[in-house]
Amino acid sequence: MDTLALGLEHILTLPTLAAIVVGTVLGVVVGVLPGLGSVIGITMVLPFTFTMPQIPALALMLGIYCGSVYGGSISAIVINTPGTPQAAATALDGFPMAQRGDAGLAIGWATTASTIGGLFSVGVLVLAAPQLAAFSLNFTVIEYFALGVFALICIANVSRGAMAKGLLSGVIGLFLATVGVDQVTGDMRFTFDNFEMTAGISLIPAIVGLFALSEMFVRASESHVVKESIAYKVGIRLPRLTDWRGRLGILLKSCLIGSFVGALPGTGAATAAFISYSEAKRSSRNRDKLGTGEPDGIISAESANNAVTGSAMVPTLALGIPGDPVTAVMLGTFIVHGLTPGPRLFSEHLDLVYAIFFILVAVNVAMFIVGAIGAQAFTRVLRVPEPLLMTTVVVISLIGAYGVRGNPIDLITAFVAGIGGFLLRKNGFPLAPMVIGMVLSQMIENSLRQGLLITRGDFLAFFQRPISLTLFVLTFAILVWPLVRRLLGRGKGATLDEGNLE
Amino acid sequence: MRGSRYSVPALAGALVLALGVAGAQAFPDKPVTIIVPFKAGGGTDITTRTLAGPMAQALGGDIVVKNTAGAGGTIGAAETARAKADGYTIGMMPVGPMTTQPHLRKLPYAPDSFDYICQAYSAPSSLVVRKDSKFNNLADMIAFAKANPGKLNYGIQAVGSIPHVAGLGLAEAAGIDFQFIPFKGSAPTFKAMLDGTVDMFVAHISFLTKNGDQVKSIAMLMDHRVDTAKDLPTAKDQGIDLNFPIWGGLVAPKGIPADARAKLEKACEAGMKSAAFSERMAQLRMPVTYLGGDDFKAFVMSEFAKNEKLLRKAGLKKN
Repeated sequence: MDTLALGLEHILTLPTLAAIVVGTVLGVVVGVLPGLGSVIGITMVLPFTFTMPQIPALALMLGIYCGSVYGGSISAIVINTPGTPQAAATALDGFPMAQRGDAGLAIGWATTASTIGGLFSVGVLVLAAPQLAAFSLNFTVIEYFALGVFALICIANVSRGAMAKGLLSGVIGLFLATVGVDQVTGDMRFTFDNFEMTAGISLIPAIVGLFALSEMFVRASESHVVKESIAYKVGIRLPRLTDWRGRLGILLKSCLIGSFVGALPGTGAATAAFISYSEAKRSSRNRDKLGTGEPDGIISAESANNAVTGSAMVPTLALGIPGDPVTAVMLGTFIVHGLTPGPRLFSEHLDLVYAIFFILVAVNVAMFIVGAIGAQAFTRVLRVPEPLLMTTVVVISLIGAYGVRGNPIDLITAFVAGIGGFLLRKNGFPLAPMVIGMVLSQMIENSLRQGLLITRGDFLAFFQRPISLTLFVLTFAILVWPLVRRLLGRGKGATLDEGNLE
Repeated sequence: MRGSRYSVPALAGALVLALGVAGAQAFPDKPVTIIVPFKAGGGTDITTRTLAGPMAQALGGDIVVKNTAGAGGTIGAAETARAKADGYTIGMMPVGPMTTQPHLRKLPYAPDSFDYICQAYSAPSSLVVRKDSKFNNLADMIAFAKANPGKLNYGIQAVGSIPHVAGLGLAEAAGIDFQFIPFKGSAPTFKAMLDGTVDMFVAHISFLTKNGDQVKSIAMLMDHRVDTAKDLPTAKDQGIDLNFPIWGGLVAPKGIPADARAKLEKACEAGMKSAAFSERMAQLRMPVTYLGGDDFKAFVMSEFAKNEKLLRKAGLKKN
């Protein structure tokens, strides 16, 4: 109890509270702006954190981290361009809802789900960090491969009505991520002897092109007659408590999925959101409406990606292994501040762990407030004349695309992806599967090849491990389930469920 | 004595400033950019940022750190080599992009594309195993490898990296075999060792310092014991001479004005002697190892030739 009080004491100081507010606001802003994301946000403040005292520095970074994961959802909803890759799944239902004129409500769902997801994972962090960290060590490269294959199912779930095109789009995504250095042999692949290409195709510029630029091209190619704009209500509209009826199961499941995926080092919020969306598509009561502006879609994606934030701290703090690229940057700063992550942190510096816990709680509350107040501005953005809005988005997102790693080729990547995305959209190809492909490609390929090196080429050994076997069986079961359901339905003489014909 | 710990850099700074004012054209009259060829928050980045503050003070101008990551650091190295040779763009270039990557594939630069300013760090690497491993020294590990051929998995952070080359050297010297498992960077390699996928890997001494709870060193890969790790036996102590320090230093595109190079060199030395920098290095158990531009150049050239031989022998040198 004393350490708990000490932890609370750590954060109840003016600099820490200020850092929480500033960090969260900054995080939401970099999250909202496409191209700028969590990593850029943290990198921006990195030099300052070196000279700040330990706790405020942590608070600033955690604020940016959580705020940015949430902020990405707002641009996904308002302009159909995920502000960060983590929010790609949120656009699937968020944007259709906004098109109906319910942008405020969509932001309301996203804000509430994000806050609950974030708080849930804070609970996981404080209650089960050592156990969860130990469990994550049961996930070797072989289990990562199985998890990656499992997550691929999501491609089928977001390709509503265009299965063949969705699969093709997914395959293109898987392929694009193979450009550059082959991690296992060190050879160059698909670089056409171009030196700049050896760095590979980076995810953020590709997303900027696929979503932001292609959105601009699509709008430019459409008629110039100013359409009767939908009467948008300005501000946030929180869902009523009764609206949650029948959705709590999805919420809980998504929080669990996010917390679990987050605790696995090397995965991230984007993967968690897609797996969770997949699960909603499978088990939600409203699964047939998913993709058309259904709250369950927003809930599953947003509670899962924010649930990653707390649990990604689990391996970071308990093992010294960053859970995702953002915590990797944070880990470096922890060490500058003399905080040595590892098993002993929980026994020797419990007060610091509690301080981090309180910071995260405060950040999630701050995030809710920033979202509620900021929604006024965000929804007002929809009233900005379209040419002005799109131009601004394009400029900012290109700056972000370049800023990720300072490589000019990323600008070319963004433009090519923009043209490619435009052509794909015009021909009815869904873009989300491509993002899923790019996110999962390296994990699947490299873990398969590392696994085969470890088993000395024995693929059968992949099925002799309980966790990977379970994941393979689940993958198979989920893939054949619609077919089985259809056959059973036909047996009873029922009409064919249209949703399963896709 | 109040302020005494800043007196050396302050004095050096004043000196540099005075020289600058005396010169016809004061370098620097705008911020100097240091390119770090890796992502923000990593070891190279943090070392550079720690150095940048006191170095800027000594230089009498601003220093901006820019991260250009990708392709094992070669993208940032190429950007440095290609930059305008005016002294305002320099790079913190580590061992990999300078002395191993150029042997692995065709690159638009080579070690002679640069002017050398200073060596900023050089720290021993260490062969690490899990804390609960039954191996306590090289002899234990080699005996196991000989009794169980083909059983040991050796994690590497990248193909052709210094840890990989060190592993090849160790296997050859001891007459044993490793199955090398390539990962992407230290974090996943470390994870794979904790979950039992790999038995050992080679890490930077600061890694050992940070993760002392979970790992132990069975051999420091250095030809002498450094002051900051007197207690840890080297491979040489155990009969196998392996010397694989992990180092980096400031370089500029070839042909920068001699005056700018001299000022940067002085500022680098002053920055490295500052209290802020040496305290940080001590925290990580890294020795402070300043080398001036000429010595650093000679060192890089000899390492470049040494690694060429090792990579050729391993069949990794393809051109």
